[in-house]
Amino acid sequence: MAEGEFFRAASPQEAAGLLAQHGGSARVLAGGTDLMVAVNKRMFKPQVIIYLGDAGMSGISQEGDALLIGAATPLSVIQASPLVADKTPLLAAAIKQMASPAIRNAGTIGGNLANASPAADTATPLLALGASLKLVGAKGEREVPLAEFFTGPGQSVLGADEIIAQVKVPAQPAEAKWAYRKVGKRKAQSLSVVSVAVYCSISGGQVSGAAIALGAVAPTPLLAQDAAGLLQGKTLDEATIAAAAKAAAEATSPIDDARGTAWYRKRASEAVVKQLLTELAG
Amino acid sequence: MHTLELTVNGQGHKVEVGLKTTLLEVLRDKLHITSPKVGCNTGDCGTCSVLLDGVLVRSCITNALSVQGKSVTTLEGIIEPGDIHPLQKAFHENYGSQCGFCTPGMILASKALLDANPSPTRDEVKEALSGNLCRCTGYVKIIDSVLAAADEMKS
Ligand SMILES: Cc1cc2nc3c(=O)[nH]c(=O)nc-3n(C[C@H](O)[C@H](O)[C@H](O)COP(=O)(O)OP(=O)(O)OC[C@H]3O[C@@H](n4cnc5c(N)ncnc54)[C@H](O)[C@@H]3O)c2cc1C
Ligand code: FES
Ligand code: FES
Repeated sequence: MAEGEFFRAASPQEAAGLLAQHGGSARVLAGGTDLMVAVNKRMFKPQVIIYLGDAGMSGISQEGDALLIGAATPLSVIQASPLVADKTPLLAAAIKQMASPAIRNAGTIGGNLANASPAADTATPLLALGASLKLVGAKGEREVPLAEFFTGPGQSVLGADEIIAQVKVPAQPAEAKWAYRKVGKRKAQSLSVVSVAVYCSISGGQVSGAAIALGAVAPTPLLAQDAAGLLQGKTLDEATIAAAAKAAAEATSPIDDARGTAWYRKRASEAVVKQLLTELAG
Repeated sequence: MHTLELTVNGQGHKVEVGLKTTLLEVLRDKLHITSPKVGCNTGDCGTCSVLLDGVLVRSCITNALSVQGKSVTTLEGIIEPGDIHPLQKAFHENYGSQCGFCTPGMILASKALLDANPSPTRDEVKEALSGNLCRCTGYVKIIDSVLAAADEMKS
């Protein structure tokens, strides 16, 4: 069949089964906002498409202290969700700055993560929040912390017969502090040059838990663990913040591209981490 | 080839499409509905915008087979032929369109906004149109047009 086959999977398990059955020639399709751009640019020729839009993978619910977000949930639905605004406002704030309304209406959270761009804008907040992914494969399912998911630009631990079925995001405690900033070429519809999410629990004036995540400044979205470690047990004073910002910038390994130079990205990483931590201290 | 059934502007259609076919190609090349334009073909400019079950999307990066059984509205379908929609009237009266290439997308993005939020602020209009590029009119008159249409539609 020259034109290939198009399947509408009815469940994540069926999608995984179809992937296994068709070997490397099959690709799953969610919103298509990454995949169809590649098709139109003739960078990718689909042979078998497995569509996830009818697989019951869209929706947001709460389970204990975590939100469960179906991988095929459109970004705009997450952005507008009262549950997300209440439990994980950091994620809502980051999505609000992605692309533009029409792209967010079609693009999904699972597509953003599976695409594994270093500049995937849902990755930064989700890394900072300690999210994990439910992967469904032909032979069963597993849970992978997002921090272990990305392996390189466009690369992840996702197996050939696996899909992302669900994103699990621990709720932010009400007293947790957070800040997010995306630096792009323009305000809307532009990919990140640098993006930073910071997330901190502070008790008795001291940091009791912290995470600093950076996007578009390394081969994968990055959790700057050493930098966050420097905040542990400290008060957010100027010297502590400066040291953490420096360590975060040292953890980056950016490249030069059309959006910015490596030199700029490293310096901007330090400046933005500093700025956001100062905001949290204030 | 695969058979795609969809409704466009209230009318049912059945067309043959391939795996790579986009909704924009179906609309323009198969159904000869030409208000959605081919601008960038990469999701960047917004001139191919349509409403899919009432939701604003880019038809150039919407896989045709993913809209099986769905309902599409293009600019042609927002009002009966011969009538003029308040948004069209407002773009006309407020000089919101010069060459007109971006206008179908601008009007559909504005309609999606006003359907959800009949009294937007200027900033909300800017946000709603943030994915639609215009290279001749400039944005001030386009935003003025949308705000004028919102006033007209409320009265
Ligand atoms: C104009 C424009 C602006 C954009 N701006 C931004 C931006 O600001 N920030 C940003 O991060 N991104 C941006 N993007 C990229 C894109 O919109 C997002 O990455 C989006 O979330 C992709 O989701 P999708 O559902 O459209 O993915 P698709 O295109 O359907 O799929 C993308 C890839 O992931 C795979 N896939 C999809 N779902 C799954 C799943 N559940 N399990 C396993 N594999 C899966 C597909 O096989 C494909 O390889 C932009 C894109 C465009 C066109
Ligand atoms: S032609 Fe579709 S966004 Fe430009
Ligand atoms: S009126 Fe010409 S591009 Fe907008």
